[in-house]
Amino acid sequence: MKTPLYSRRQMLARTGGGFGMLALSSMLEAASNPFAPKVPMEVGGKAKSIIWIFANGGPSHVDTWDYKPELAKRDGQTLEGFDPKTGFFPGSVGGLMKSPFEFKQHGQSGTWCSDLFPKTAMHVDKMSFIHSCWTDSNNHSPALFKMNTGQTRMGYPCVGSWVNYGLGSESDSLPSFVVMSDPLNRGLPKGSAANWGAGFLPSIYQGTWLKPTGAPIDNLAVPASLTPQRQRSQLDLLAKLNRQALAGSPIESELEARIESFELAYRMQTSAPEAFDVQSEPEHIQQLYGVNEKHCGHFAAQCLTARRMVERGVRFIQIYSGGMENQLSWDGHKDILGNHRGFANESDQPVAALISDLEQRGLLDQTLVIWGGEFGRLPIAQKGTQPGRDHNPHAFTVWMCGGGVKGGYHHGETDEIGFKAATDKVSVHDLHATILAAAGLDHERLTFKFQGLDQKLTGVENPKVVKEIFA
Amino acid sequence: MRHLLVLIALTSTALHAAVPSDHAERMERGLKLFERDISGLLKEHCLRCHGGEKVKSDFELATREDLLRGGSHGPAIVPFDAEASHLIELISHVKEPMMPDDKPRLSDEVIGKFKAWINDGAPYADPLIAGKKPKRDSSLVTDEDRQWWAFQPLKKVQAKSIDELLLKKANGMTFNPPADKATLARRVSLDLTGLPPDPNDASDFSDQIDKLLCSPAYGERWARHWLDVARYAESTGFEQDYDRPHAYHFRDFVIKALNMDMPYDQFVKWQLAGDEYEPDNPLALAATGFLGAGVFPSQITANEVERTRYDAMDDMLSTTSSAMLGLTVGCARCHDHKFDPFPTRDYYAMLATFTTTTRMNIDIHPDGKITSAITTKKKKGADTPPIEGATRMMICGEGYEPIVMHTQGGPFFDKTYVLRRGSTDMKEEEASQAFLQVLSKLGAENRWQWQPPKDAKYSGRRRTLSNWITDVENGAGALLARVIVNRLWQHHFGTGLVPTANDFGKTGALPTQPELLDWLAGQLIAHDWKLKPIHKMILSSRAWQQSSARDPKKEAADPDNGLFMRFVPQRLEAEAIRDSMLAVSGLLDDTMFGPGTRDENSKRRSIYFNIKRSQLIGSMVAFDQPEPLVSQGGRPTTTVAPQALILMNSPQAREWAEGLAKRVQSAGPVPEQITLAYRLCFNRDPNSNELTAGADFLKSGASLADYCQVVLGLNEFIYVN
Repeated sequence: MKTPLYSRRQMLARTGGGFGMLALSSMLEAASNPFAPKVPMEVGGKAKSIIWIFANGGPSHVDTWDYKPELAKRDGQTLEGFDPKTGFFPGSVGGLMKSPFEFKQHGQSGTWCSDLFPKTAMHVDKMSFIHSCWTDSNNHSPALFKMNTGQTRMGYPCVGSWVNYGLGSESDSLPSFVVMSDPLNRGLPKGSAANWGAGFLPSIYQGTWLKPTGAPIDNLAVPASLTPQRQRSQLDLLAKLNRQALAGSPIESELEARIESFELAYRMQTSAPEAFDVQSEPEHIQQLYGVNEKHCGHFAAQCLTARRMVERGVRFIQIYSGGMENQLSWDGHKDILGNHRGFANESDQPVAALISDLEQRGLLDQTLVIWGGEFGRLPIAQKGTQPGRDHNPHAFTVWMCGGGVKGGYHHGETDEIGFKAATDKVSVHDLHATILAAAGLDHERLTFKFQGLDQKLTGVENPKVVKEIFA
Repeated sequence: MRHLLVLIALTSTALHAAVPSDHAERMERGLKLFERDISGLLKEHCLRCHGGEKVKSDFELATREDLLRGGSHGPAIVPFDAEASHLIELISHVKEPMMPDDKPRLSDEVIGKFKAWINDGAPYADPLIAGKKPKRDSSLVTDEDRQWWAFQPLKKVQAKSIDELLLKKANGMTFNPPADKATLARRVSLDLTGLPPDPNDASDFSDQIDKLLCSPAYGERWARHWLDVARYAESTGFEQDYDRPHAYHFRDFVIKALNMDMPYDQFVKWQLAGDEYEPDNPLALAATGFLGAGVFPSQITANEVERTRYDAMDDMLSTTSSAMLGLTVGCARCHDHKFDPFPTRDYYAMLATFTTTTRMNIDIHPDGKITSAITTKKKKGADTPPIEGATRMMICGEGYEPIVMHTQGGPFFDKTYVLRRGSTDMKEEEASQAFLQVLSKLGAENRWQWQPPKDAKYSGRRRTLSNWITDVENGAGALLARVIVNRLWQHHFGTGLVPTANDFGKTGALPTQPELLDWLAGQLIAHDWKLKPIHKMILSSRAWQQSSARDPKKEAADPDNGLFMRFVPQRLEAEAIRDSMLAVSGLLDDTMFGPGTRDENSKRRSIYFNIKRSQLIGSMVAFDQPEPLVSQGGRPTTTVAPQALILMNSPQAREWAEGLAKRVQSAGPVPEQITLAYRLCFNRDPNSNELTAGADFLKSGASLADYCQVVLGLNEFIYVN
């Protein structure tokens, strides 16, 4: 790849981009990926696919994965020196509030988990927890943008787009980066499509949002006024006429790619609906995820779809748990107990099933599963009849599983009440560098020229890969 | 502007504690400490990353001057005050990033030595690297900086035509032969109007150009190019992505301005300050929508108010400089520009132009009176109800009621400050309006300064900016002209004379034809900044009219076609593809202006799609319409399956096919039908193979609409030869 015939960008444009870069990715493998580390990395590199369960709204770390006995001891006390502007509601600052959930140790690692996730907790010995994450904003959309794109401002390429750009696609009939959002009419994460946008990367790298109801992808079905046979003969005529006009054109390869794109589209009409068809899964698998359970069926179907996509070579799958904000998502300003109980109940069994299922198929080692939100929540109460917790940009927990990640490992700590990340702090850029490393991409080399600069997902402040989480 | 020199003088004034009375004594003690300990300690722990092998965080400390100036985190020390010194905070691990990076904390004893040395004034006996000179003050622009081609005055190029200048550089190569008449007719029609030609038009080529330039469709086609550059959309983006239902006036302004051939300098002036030029003229007011078209959060917490305001002003400045000057000035927000001579101070001096500029809705009453239309998300029911007969318009300027979001703060701050690292927590002195030094002739400030009338609602700062940006002799006007003629060239040929249309700085590409660029820019100015004469000049050239026939020799000698000795086929943009399909199907509704729609079934031209950032139009995005977030100087051309799916399965494609079928049905027997379809779509007759293939297909039982759908899907439809 030292003296490429075309720039990578040209090649991708010519070969059909996100929806079918098979030809390209095999070319790249032969010539080695330009974004792979020059020197083989000491760690990571095993993940071929990434599933990111985005607990939208900011789940509370002190009520889930970050056990803080000291917080219980200091329940009701005032947090001295607390800046009321830390959260979103400066006027509702209460005292320290113990977790309303019960914590127990799980697995060989003795990992403390609250009783919100009884089934997921059975996998703790396969998971690495990063307890010392922190971010830049106390507000949903900037924090969502930060977590997805590394910038609090709108309009930058998201992690999925960068991975898509860096690795290319392994599927010749499915988009290589898909996003699933809440199917229960509770809205999209704030900032919606900007969270899976390609920013300044070519638009072929943007996430394909699967519509939560109806046909998940536009224009996938042959229109009623045609039949599949008639469409086939249309495409035959189209290819014949297009081929006749091909010879001698100065842009022959571009025109050739367009002929191919129609054939790819034709194949997608059958392969994509097949990939989404979770009902074709055997009964015991549907049961494992809880596809037909009322409390979690919608999320189960999404997790099961994710696994089916991984099997079909899709690179990056993001599933949002919860809708927009407040009671519609993990954004527990009010009634942290009821709020978190509800969303945990929706997702615990499907997430646990996803891990078990990937493992039993031998896919877990090459699939990185990420769980986390855009920020954490404060250890103090947000006052109200049913107290909640306000946003906390200073600390939150993200866990990762599979894809070469160590089991039962805990990285970093918050202070004794879980207010701020205290040791081995991990910035969002560090987190992104780590995710890229898991996929074998060097965050320093994964660049794209824009506005005259080699732009990177991870910015310029020397982020660090959290090497410790890799086995 | 009169503050420019003062500003420059201020720049080297770092933060200093008061000089103590025992200064001399302390400095002597400090020097000893430096020679005995500090010099070695700095070399051992700090120098490698800060001026030795690398320069991290833009911070060097090989000389005292460098140490005092500091880096991207601000000044490293305050002489005589260790406690206030950032360096001490970092090495004591009180603040991030803890230093030395990735190494254990230095001992208390060592830290104590650093403190003592700083309290003694932090003197250096010698630079840490022998002979090292302090880095120059990067807030000053040198004569060397001014040598960059884009900052130079326009060269006076003697030439009679585009062709003459191109041939001069062509190393003996010559143009391809002219394309045939039918190909040219299709090429020029799609180029100027985004619509296919009338197959019955037999007028000569020069008349065709004139006719197309006078067609209202010209403005509808070329306005879209400017809307990409202006990151134009009609919603706020961010959380709720609220609609801006009165923002479309800006789109209509661009179409109208192009159609009336408004001089480009006036086009620019009105977009920056239409309200300050003609406060009662609705078209001038609509032009300011340019500044207001960017994203803006709808939910702003107390500690985000100020940062958000700087973001909003940055959006105005960055878009202005990318769109009009092809410069990435926005990079200087956090640090002096790494490649171009744009000091951070120039950035904030320019940013101050927009201190009090906000988005506002106004009502233009039937009698011409203009009043504020209150628009606020803070208080339900407070919005001004629609007024009978009045037009509501979103503008961006000063003097009416700002549009208010869910914010815990006000719409703007009275002052703009120079910020260290772009952080509102690190304010330096107040920024006064000034412009890029590298594009300002010294002493010319008074020419640009515009004082508004006493009772005016506006500050005059944007009009002052517009005076500088259009001043060819003393300001940025030469570059302004280069950038726009380059955009014209780019859309006629597929590639600009400067291939990076939005970056004329050092990280951009060099002009392939510098003389031609300057000649064209000069022609523009000589033609009173009117664009249509330049279009005509380009379209009348042999260069533009040559064929796209392959020539392996030329391809080998000039793979990127920087010599323009052949025409490269181009794929139509999303809008032109859809509009052409509507046109040939006889379904196009040519109603101009007014609110748009997001309904893909609309029959109006694609420029009238309403652009909501969270709900972009699927068929537009699939064919590479860019996201309207920052200024876009060009579009990629991708070929992906969703494009094919649209043409195969969308209800619109089927409707277009049926429309075309209806039109050709009455042409007579099948061969006549096929011929008419080819004439409408490709401005040519089908060859015998095409006739046979079409006839065989129809004989096999397929409908005429099935056939027309195939024709619309052909490569030839979406490429211009």
